[in-house]
Amino acid sequence: MAFLHSHATSFGYKQVPEEQKSKLVGNVFSSVASSYDLMNDLMSVGLHRLWKDRLISKLNPFPGMKHLDVAGGTGDVAFRVLERINSVSHRAMQGTLPYTEEDTQIYVCDINPNMLNVGKKRASERGYKEDNFLSWIQGDAEALSFEDGSMDGYTIAFGIRNVTHIEKALSEAYRVLKRGGRFLCLELSHVDVPLFKEIYDVYSFSVIPAMGELVAGDRQSYQYLVESVRRFPNQEKFAQMIQEAGFARVEYENLVGGVVAIHSGLKL
Amino acid sequence: MMRRTATLLLRQNGSGVGGGIPQALADVLVCPLSKKPLRYCEASGSLISDAVGVSFPIVDGIPCLVPKDGKLMDQDQKESEDCTRILPTTNEK
Repeated sequence: MAFLHSHATSFGYKQVPEEQKSKLVGNVFSSVASSYDLMNDLMSVGLHRLWKDRLISKLNPFPGMKHLDVAGGTGDVAFRVLERINSVSHRAMQGTLPYTEEDTQIYVCDINPNMLNVGKKRASERGYKEDNFLSWIQGDAEALSFEDGSMDGYTIAFGIRNVTHIEKALSEAYRVLKRGGRFLCLELSHVDVPLFKEIYDVYSFSVIPAMGELVAGDRQSYQYLVESVRRFPNQEKFAQMIQEAGFARVEYENLVGGVVAIHSGLKL
Repeated sequence: MMRRTATLLLRQNGSGVGGGIPQALADVLVCPLSKKPLRYCEASGSLISDAVGVSFPIVDGIPCLVPKDGKLMDQDQKESEDCTRILPTTNEK
């Protein structure tokens, strides 16, 4: 039987053949795309905004940079990078900058076209002219369509746990970054703090799927979400994987006791 | 010397659907399978990877460069005159 010989990977707590995982993940995100932003706010009690802000300040964007945000279809991270760059530009108007603001390019890559369409729509609602600074590409984190050494920065926020082969995504991130480029990953992680861990578990397994049912009409997708977080490697293990992909100065920062972690690395 | 995608693509008048692809994308996009330059086919509005003989669609102005969504081109399509043979330009950003 083919199943016995194929590799299995985790989809939440279900073991599924590898080929199926990306299809199942795809279905999850087509389903969640429209209520994605609202659910993020509800599940994290608005905290995801602060977490993304923290991600951007660690990134330290600069005018003229080429930045790739992966799995960021709806544009949350991309808009923050742009806004940060705009504010840096204005503050630096007095002095001379090595790059002009016009060279700034933010590439948003997502495997799901629904998420990208939401992002594009939000971009125009915010008054960003089409194709000015922002580019939207449908692509696979495991096989990026960007040239070697083309990016100053790479971010992936709440996306890497959905990738079938994390090592491939990490080595692709390494490939597309320039020397001196930075890798940053914001992801749900592992809580070890006693008592808080138990509360967090109850919240995750009871409250979140119910919220998913109520708000998005989709309990199953949010059940998957919660399970995928538990199956994802812990902070130390993930840091090790980033190092194995070739990154140097790998470190991580826990937020809210490890509910989320920001891992970073440098391509030397 | 390897030709970059930028030299294989010509920015058409304006950007968006049916108008070629913007310079920002031409500068960095490559085939996700071979990592080699892509060519824009005006007739089909798709991006061609000659290295692996695969074409990738552009839908609503968004290039779809997921490997499994690429279409293998048959010999006829590869030699088709409909795809504009784009000359390299000196239009480097």
